[in-house]
Amino acid sequence: MAVYFFRRFLLIIPTFLGITIMVFVITRFVPGGPIERMIAQAQQMQSMPGGTGPMSAQDGRNQPLSEEQIEELKKYYGFDKPVMASYGLWLGKVLSGDLGVSTRYYDPVWEMIRERIPISLYFGFISMVMVYGVCIPLGIAKAVKHKTHFDNLSSIIVFIGYAIPGWVVGVLLLVLFASHWEVFPLGGMISDNFDSLGLFGKIKDLVRHTVLPVIAYVAGSFTVMTFLMKNTLMDNLSSDYVRTAMAKGLPFRKAVFRHALRNSLIPIATNFGHNISIILTGSFLIEKVFNINGMGLLGYESIVERDYPVVMGILVISSILLLIGNILSDICVAVVDPRVRFE
Amino acid sequence: MPINPLTLKKIRRFSSIKRGFYSFLILSSMILISFFAEILVSNRAIVVNFNGKFYFPTYGQIITGKTFGLDYEYETNYRELAREFKQGKGGNWVLLPPVPYNPYENDLRDNEYPPFPPSLKDRHYLGTDTVGRDILSRLVYGFRIAILFSLGLLAANYTIGISIGCAMGFVGGKFDLFFQRIIEIWSNVPFLYVVIIISSIVVPSFMMLILIMAFFEWIGMTWIMRTMTYKEKAREYVLAARAMGASDFRIIFRHIIPNAVSVIVTFAPFSVSGGIVALTSLDYLGFGLPPPTPSWGELLQQGWANMDAYWIVGSVIFAMTLTLITVTFIGEAVREAFDPRFHTTYE
Repeated sequence: MAVYFFRRFLLIIPTFLGITIMVFVITRFVPGGPIERMIAQAQQMQSMPGGTGPMSAQDGRNQPLSEEQIEELKKYYGFDKPVMASYGLWLGKVLSGDLGVSTRYYDPVWEMIRERIPISLYFGFISMVMVYGVCIPLGIAKAVKHKTHFDNLSSIIVFIGYAIPGWVVGVLLLVLFASHWEVFPLGGMISDNFDSLGLFGKIKDLVRHTVLPVIAYVAGSFTVMTFLMKNTLMDNLSSDYVRTAMAKGLPFRKAVFRHALRNSLIPIATNFGHNISIILTGSFLIEKVFNINGMGLLGYESIVERDYPVVMGILVISSILLLIGNILSDICVAVVDPRVRFE
Repeated sequence: MPINPLTLKKIRRFSSIKRGFYSFLILSSMILISFFAEILVSNRAIVVNFNGKFYFPTYGQIITGKTFGLDYEYETNYRELAREFKQGKGGNWVLLPPVPYNPYENDLRDNEYPPFPPSLKDRHYLGTDTVGRDILSRLVYGFRIAILFSLGLLAANYTIGISIGCAMGFVGGKFDLFFQRIIEIWSNVPFLYVVIIISSIVVPSFMMLILIMAFFEWIGMTWIMRTMTYKEKAREYVLAARAMGASDFRIIFRHIIPNAVSVIVTFAPFSVSGGIVALTSLDYLGFGLPPPTPSWGELLQQGWANMDAYWIVGSVIFAMTLTLITVTFIGEAVREAFDPRFHTTYE
């Protein structure tokens, strides 16, 4: 089995290369990159004073920068070499731990990402605890009380949460609780006067900013977990070994908790590995709705602004996390279920 | 065509699941109504009686104001025509649709700025958006676009997914391994990135957007189909068919695909809701269908930016919830109808 996982880890390398090459090549052939933006900016600067816009347009080629300047810019951003050569350079830098510098803010990419990670991690971790803490007991209760009023009612509620995407829930929560009733703040991470608050005030402020986004996060992943728990537990309850246990006179409670539940936790465990990438990268839609400066929002903004080094940096981190998460899931399965053998 | 008794049983079981069955009725009537939306929600009148002649302006060419004795050559403003006919004599009348606004027109007023709150008098039953377009009208047309979009996306995804997935499962070996890697790479390319890039080069049209989305979402179906084919291929009936000399072609199309369909069908409703959500998210971010296409995502964006105008967010979220929940309940019922197991419960 160790051999199997070793092979899986080795397979990360070609996949990782494939992903990064693909996106890297795309960034090269897209209009609107840093050089085009520079030219546009220079154009604006030129046409600003005196309003001589139409005259410069008559010149035919409205080019504010000289050839040499453009060449220099290309060199600076590494656009002067063929695609694969500059990809090689980029990869070499990444391997030595340098993700480059943002073409928009001129900050090191790694710094920018490192600042955002704790924010996404904070929301991701809280929502994960909430999801597992609620879903497992709720799933058990629903399985035991299958087809009762409790089951039907909670199914409807859970399905509503499933049907509406988390960010739409977020918009609704904002309108209701932040705009209409003004119970919670309109988004962001902390209030403007955060530094002037005492320790207790700081905690309270943070909590107030946390509640709505966490609900939005939880709403989405809630249903899948609850139903996974319910359905696997029901499958186990109808299997022979539980029937045998019941027939021998074991109380129902013991049959559920001692026998059925333990086996039902296996599928839940297999999902665990995927959390790693969700926790760290967050959801950019929810972060956008709530104005949270997390990894998701950083990725989204860098894509919109064509900040290639940041796009690539986030891609590196998120794809590695995702690939490791997949393997971690498999390891979880093997650990929880001794029958599983990966060869 | 005789219906397979198994299918009949599934249909019966589906209609016995009340929640899903009623959802199915609600959703199909919503879709049906939206296809004839021009009659119910439009700025064109349904019937105009002018000097003893009947006109039906809903479909077809525009009828100019001159036709009704007005002094302009462009399309008739039927709301004003109705007002005029009411004041004047001569037995002329106009039958307006229940919502006499089309989703593109701005209903602007003097001394007042949109968004206008809901009002029965102006027949803006759900109010107007920030540029004075009727929300109900935009919701209805937006629904039609969203549902057609997700059905188109579903067709595209399933066609690609079933063919590649089936080939992966059936051929196996190197071919399977190769596509596995491709899928792994594919699923990591940031989808939004490519959409933004494409929409910066060309304005995405309806078909174009389906193609772009299908380009990324075929993976899910391919994976399911691959697993299904692997499973079915190892079953005895395939072996028996092969022993009787059936060709690969026949095994795939007469045996494996029909058997896999029963599983694929259970995914369809969830794909539909996924398609609606995807389109809404893209429109919300401003990278979906170009404005002024009526769209729920754009309304959500407006509502998010103007939270005091509660009627914008309220109506679009209500519409979205209703649609997505009915779709989800249908999906749940279909899944249950196709599931041969009955669960054991203990007293």
